Amino acid sequence: MNSAALSRVRHSPIVDDGDELRFCTTCAFSEACLSQGYDKSALGELHVLVEHVGPYREGDHLFREGDPFTAIAAVRAGTVKTYVLDESGREQVLGFFLPGEVIGLNAIHQARYPCNAIALDTVALCRFSFPRMAVLASRMPGLQAQLFRLLSMDIGKAALLAGDYSADERMAAFLVSLSLRYARRGFSPTRFRLTMARTDMANYLRLAAETVSRVLRRFQDDGLLTVERRELEILDLPRLQGLARSVLRD
Amino acid sequence: MNTTARFDADLLRRYDRQGPRYTSYPTAPQFSEAFDEDAYRDVARRSNDDPIPRRLSLYAHMPFCQSPCFYCGCNRIITRDPARAEAYLSRLVREVSMVAPLFDRDRDVVQLHLGGGTPNFFTAAQLRELVDCLHRHFHFSERADRDISIELDPRFVDADSIAALAAMGFNRASLGVQDFDPQVQAAVNRVQSVEQTLAVVAACRQNAFSSINIDLIYGLPGQNAAGFGRTLDIVIAARPDRLAVYSYAHLPQMFKAQRQIDETLLPDAERKLGLLQLAIEKLTAAGYQYIGMDHFALPADELSVALERGSLHRNFMGYTTHAESDLIGLGVSAISHIGDSYSQNPRDLSLWEHAIDNGRLPVWRGMQMGRDDLARAELIQRLMCQGVVDIAALESRHDLDFGAYFRADLVRLHPLVADGLVEYDGEELRVTSRGRMLVRNIAACFDHYLHQPTAQPLRYSRVI
Repeated sequence: MNSAALSRVRHSPIVDDGDELRFCTTCAFSEACLSQGYDKSALGELHVLVEHVGPYREGDHLFREGDPFTAIAAVRAGTVKTYVLDESGREQVLGFFLPGEVIGLNAIHQARYPCNAIALDTVALCRFSFPRMAVLASRMPGLQAQLFRLLSMDIGKAALLAGDYSADERMAAFLVSLSLRYARRGFSPTRFRLTMARTDMANYLRLAAETVSRVLRRFQDDGLLTVERRELEILDLPRLQGLARSVLRD
Repeated sequence: MNTTARFDADLLRRYDRQGPRYTSYPTAPQFSEAFDEDAYRDVARRSNDDPIPRRLSLYAHMPFCQSPCFYCGCNRIITRDPARAEAYLSRLVREVSMVAPLFDRDRDVVQLHLGGGTPNFFTAAQLRELVDCLHRHFHFSERADRDISIELDPRFVDADSIAALAAMGFNRASLGVQDFDPQVQAAVNRVQSVEQTLAVVAACRQNAFSSINIDLIYGLPGQNAAGFGRTLDIVIAARPDRLAVYSYAHLPQMFKAQRQIDETLLPDAERKLGLLQLAIEKLTAAGYQYIGMDHFALPADELSVALERGSLHRNFMGYTTHAESDLIGLGVSAISHIGDSYSQNPRDLSLWEHAIDNGRLPVWRGMQMGRDDLARAELIQRLMCQGVVDIAALESRHDLDFGAYFRADLVRLHPLVADGLVEYDGEELRVTSRGRMLVRNIAACFDHYLHQPTAQPLRYSRVI
């Protein structure tokens, strides 16, 4: 094996900052705009809406439940966890947001954030005013379509784990989903860092923390993947996809 | 990996200089008091957060000795007062009850080692209390390869105690011998007969200990080839599974006990080298394999098997087959290695006692490894345990360009390459059979802290 054959795994992808001529490499909207053939000036119009914020450090809150909603934000780098606290103060993890994904969509309806968002590692955001985005979208059909797509994806995600699935199926679906999402942004689909703590993963998947480890160890023994500390390598993606199929359906 | 040790007197002579032993990288002198109790709690919590948290290794330091061996560089306290053992034990139990809850219960203990001092300064009943306490607070692996080991001073242990240890789950013993030569024993204040030593070996075997290690030391005062040769013959005939042959490091400015040694009796460098050569020749002829550094093992021993498979590891307790476990050090001066951190308890007994009496974790100093530390630690670990570093794999894991990143290190490595100790072709860094005994020197080329302009004057032991 020589070094050229091995693609480098960036643990904390640092994105290229865009400017009025170029999108950020992880921009949630670049694909929609580019595929619609928007020129530099249209792109410039979009870019002035955005504000790069961060970096947030691990454990920093990006917003809290009940905060007034003004802007949606795309993750440029790092991982964001959203969660709510139930009546007895227990945490319920709602989801994890990776570079290129948009947080705050579920706030549009009530004009207040319905959940908390916390940085799991060093996080940088691209924040944009929702009202102005909506105005621009009315002139850019591609952008509007992308907004609807993001909204429906956000709803679909929550339904993903509601069914009666085995621990193996849940874990496989979770890993396959991460793999797909990293691949979509140009990162390796088979080697990535699990930035969320075991307890967060367990909470999200509605499993015990020990079960998360047991299932991963079994996957490892079966040659599906290897885990070294937080680094995950998927060795047999097709087999993992097979296990995930009933949860992910398509 | 080549498991014979090649002896090359001229080479060893030229490379006999001071250097760290790399039971850790960075080495303990880099630890800082900025790493405190809160930092320890934080790294423990994080270590539970891994998707598959590492298994645990436990080390408990048992510091007391009945009488001082003059060569000793360990942290130990000389006393004949059994009450001190009782007082120490009660605090150690408290330390366990403070530390254990920081680690999730599904993290199995795969290794427990009691070191010293002299662990068998404590009675079998006291040791059982400690082991019971550990079992209450941690979940021990049921796997056959779990190691429960203890260092024994054969002068102060009988067959009944060994049976009691076996009943507690101990399955490995390490016996201190050093040299059977009566003249040497007198010069180092450790008089120990062959008979009592062999009786302990026999008792361990009767009680189904799966592995026995014997420690020897070369370079002691009054030591000569005839006497050390007889010692080697006796030890080889006892057929311990593992053998360690340590070089005596005479550092009287650091270790008080060593000031009692008559320096005029110390063998000179040539004679010392001769003793090492004798040990290697006799052990190799008797079928022992060279594991690395000072360690030898029978071919069927797990260390030899792990060496062949490339799954050997090294930690504060020496070479081990247990890969990535987090090490929890308990007791005075004990070192922990949790996640990417090192930390150490106070070396001073009263400071350790004071922390525990006040309900605080006794963390004296430590360090959180940075990215550079992690890359170098892996490189050094691979050099010492596998004898080969896959450059592409290291580059990928640490996101660096080897040639550029280690440019200065590779310049330092140049003379070692020229001397045939190590080969580097851009794809692999490989320790040659000529270089195996000098792996410390090779590793030192990659030690960032050793080559800082502000580096402290070296206080490490010599290589040979």
